[in-house]
Amino acid sequence: MAYFGRRFLHMLIVLWAIATILFLLFRLMPTDPSIAHLDPTFTEEQRQLVRAQFGLDRPLFEQYLIYMKNLAEGEFGLSFRQRQPVMGLVLAVLPNTLLLTSSALIVAYLFGALLGASLAWRRGSLFEKISVPLVLATRAAPEFWLGMIVLAIFAFGLNWFPSGGANVAGARYASEWERIFSLDYLRHLVLPVLTLAIYLQGLPALLMRSNMLEIMREEFVTMARMKGLSERRIMLRHAARNALLPLVTAFALGFGQSVGGNVVIENVFSWPGLGRLLVDAVANSDYPLAQGAFLVIAFVLVVMNFIADLMYGLLDPRVVHGEH
Amino acid sequence: MGTLLEVKGLSVSYRRGGVAVRAVDAVDLDVPAGAMLGLVGESGCGKSTLARALMGVLPGNASIDGGRVALDGEDLTELTPAKRRQRLWRELSFVPQTSMNALDPVYRLRDQMREVLCERGGLPTKAADERAVALFRSVGLDPVRLTDFPHQFSGGMRQRAAIAMALALNPKLVIADEPVTALDVIVQRQVLDTIRRLGRDLGLSAIIVTHDISVVTYLCGLTAVMYAGRIVEQGTTEALTRRPTHPYTMGLMNASPDLHEPVETLVPIEGAPPDLADPPKGCRFAPRCPLALAACRESDPPPVVVEPGHSAACFRAAEAGALREAARKASTWTR
Amino acid sequence: MASIELPHIAAAARPRAPGLFARLARHLAKNPSALIGVSIYLVFVLVAALAGSIAPYDPIEILFTEDGQLAASLPPSAAHLLGTTNLGRDVFSQLVLGARPSLFVGLTAAVAVATIGSAVGLVAGYLGGWVDRALMRLADLVLGLPFLPFVIVLVALIGPSLQNIVLTVAILLWPNAARVIRSQVLTLSQRQFIEAARVTGAGEWRIMLVHIAPNIVPLAFLYGSIAVGWAILTQASLSFLGFGATDTISWGTMLQDAYASQALDREQFSWFVPPGICLVLVVLAGFLISRGYEELLFPKLGEG
Repeated sequence: MAYFGRRFLHMLIVLWAIATILFLLFRLMPTDPSIAHLDPTFTEEQRQLVRAQFGLDRPLFEQYLIYMKNLAEGEFGLSFRQRQPVMGLVLAVLPNTLLLTSSALIVAYLFGALLGASLAWRRGSLFEKISVPLVLATRAAPEFWLGMIVLAIFAFGLNWFPSGGANVAGARYASEWERIFSLDYLRHLVLPVLTLAIYLQGLPALLMRSNMLEIMREEFVTMARMKGLSERRIMLRHAARNALLPLVTAFALGFGQSVGGNVVIENVFSWPGLGRLLVDAVANSDYPLAQGAFLVIAFVLVVMNFIADLMYGLLDPRVVHGEH
Repeated sequence: MGTLLEVKGLSVSYRRGGVAVRAVDAVDLDVPAGAMLGLVGESGCGKSTLARALMGVLPGNASIDGGRVALDGEDLTELTPAKRRQRLWRELSFVPQTSMNALDPVYRLRDQMREVLCERGGLPTKAADERAVALFRSVGLDPVRLTDFPHQFSGGMRQRAAIAMALALNPKLVIADEPVTALDVIVQRQVLDTIRRLGRDLGLSAIIVTHDISVVTYLCGLTAVMYAGRIVEQGTTEALTRRPTHPYTMGLMNASPDLHEPVETLVPIEGAPPDLADPPKGCRFAPRCPLALAACRESDPPPVVVEPGHSAACFRAAEAGALREAARKASTWTR
Repeated sequence: MASIELPHIAAAARPRAPGLFARLARHLAKNPSALIGVSIYLVFVLVAALAGSIAPYDPIEILFTEDGQLAASLPPSAAHLLGTTNLGRDVFSQLVLGARPSLFVGLTAAVAVATIGSAVGLVAGYLGGWVDRALMRLADLVLGLPFLPFVIVLVALIGPSLQNIVLTVAILLWPNAARVIRSQVLTLSQRQFIEAARVTGAGEWRIMLVHIAPNIVPLAFLYGSIAVGWAILTQASLSFLGFGATDTISWGTMLQDAYASQALDREQFSWFVPPGICLVLVVLAGFLISRGYEELLFPKLGEG
């Protein structure tokens, strides 16, 4: 419990620090962020009015206090361009990102764990010698390029799946749930998930392989052999089960990182998610929106890091039952 | 009593950087049914490798070069891997040196017991749990602890659990590799008592591998002394402790505190065992032996029977009495 | 002239060089994947160096066919090995010149990460106390930032140039190197030769720079080599998202161009497949080298 409390406090401090860094970044830049937004034909009076509207005429420290107070209340301000609350815009696309990330990660980790386990099991075989560099190559490939190849083949070449977006244009749904569970949405989800999964599976595969190889040298694996257990049982129940522990942590960490890393995939597939929102906001100098999207991405990352810590404790009996 | 385990000419080598290192060299060993045999020697003499080779489970870079391991007359080295696997643990079980890692850290003891009892013993879960309780009691562990994870056990408890697990399927022979080395002295004594009691109560046949000659004298009726991959002397423990015939055995006795006949000073054997990648010519102990003759460095002494059931591989076995006199003096061993 | 000077140079280098190079060569021979990595690098460095002479056309020149038509979206041919873009530019020439920004970003980022990481690691590990705590907290914080989003925001704010991309990558990647180097410094300061230096009255800065710093160079190199791939991928991703340097042709901008010009729809594989393969090869080479180098630094016992 003390462990939980300490980690939780740590998480809050990191969130505060990130928010502060972001505040300083946007305020201390040589160019006034409001300039980008302003029409050059505005009079000085109009300009001041807009600045006052965004609180940019106050002293820096006061701005910071207002900013922090607003953040604590979940108030991210108005989008420069869309004239809507940032929070609403971010929350509208958040489910798309979370769904894309979690589906891709589940596919990637299931596949990666199986692949890694069989690579370790069949170490030294031709299968392993070919697969390991191949897996490394998927880690080396730029995500957006993988996405382009997938698009060219499955969307344009074979015409199996749509090339972008999350729903057919103009489609109407009674509720958000109905939209997400519609066949149309799932069809749009397939290619981005496939691409992301190809990119993500390398880490669990390589991690699983090296964990397994390490554990196969442990005495309890030798003992399992001496007990006359079947090789399948030794590999699955003992080697793989032990090798899986670090993978669970990697999954949680991967989730946090992937929400940020999805930026590229979401843009290739025009997937209406957080990453695409961030890129559009930055490209249009819509600073409140960019700030909001960034903070939510960072929030997910930090929270997932926190969860990863807790999960590791839950899954490893050595951590749960005393004796650290 | 018939012979339970008969080892003939067993050799095991490791590949180390392209060189074959023979860790076990043409070993002959007999274990009669109901006997405990102590296999004693310095670390690196090949005793652990021999123990693992008897189980047929060796690391990837080791292999059995030849010889036979017959259990109840059946040569285990001739069996197919699948048949051999069937023999393991039901007929031949193992108590490892490092019980810390010998138990899978992620499963409760009960589940690890069940694995052996159900998977290998064919018991239904309920019967397996009852048997596990009985086994825990027999090694002096509280059955409540069956629901614990290995890391919640102390070293001594883990060792007891490992012994319980080795006894699970009533094997014909138990091989224990340094069963008490990792424990502190008091716990050592308790675990040794447990093993001794089990040996008596169950009529256990066992091979106890150890570097500590006092463990052997405490537990085992028979002793085999191993040096540089070979058995240099074997016989009843009594014969070996009272009438050691090989100078290495004499040296070992001098170097260990004896419970029965305390010697005045403990005298270590000088020098180090030979590099097995390039063993010396002749008797392998000759370079360290204060009693060696020129002939000892020329050819290998074959085992000589000195009395019924007691043999030693030494050219000077016939003069053992005089050698013992010399060996008792500390000055003999310091040069 | 070069042939006259050469023996002199070789003679001067001889006393130290053979041991190291022989060892490196022997290690490479035993480690085929590292050898492949090094070879890939050499090829790309050569291509980047000679790009001007290899590329048959100016990469941004708009080409016309002999009958005066725009040479748009031509399939691969002898004249255009990889065909042309929809605006009539030669894809192969772009590919060749695109090697330069990638290698520049990768190698400078490696140097930057190794330098910052070593400096922070040295200072934190050697000085200890609150300096150490503050620097390591900072490292934790930086590692907690979402990588690509932060790079996007920062590059958008300070301007999209190759140097700025290198800068942001270095800002985000130094903590990994710093942490490991710090612990190495901690181990080293316990060693006897450091004690000996201290007893003989060497100053703290002298001990740090003369006795400890040389021992962390291999680790700095390792983390630098890991940064190469990250930096190249980041630069490509930024270009693709439209935040790259607009005045340079890189593999990332080529892919962005192909994507935006519907090359996928037209199935112009010869346009968008090769830049991706080049990226994969360069980044993969970095992985292979750092893996091989890691084995050299931390040889594992037994078989893997």
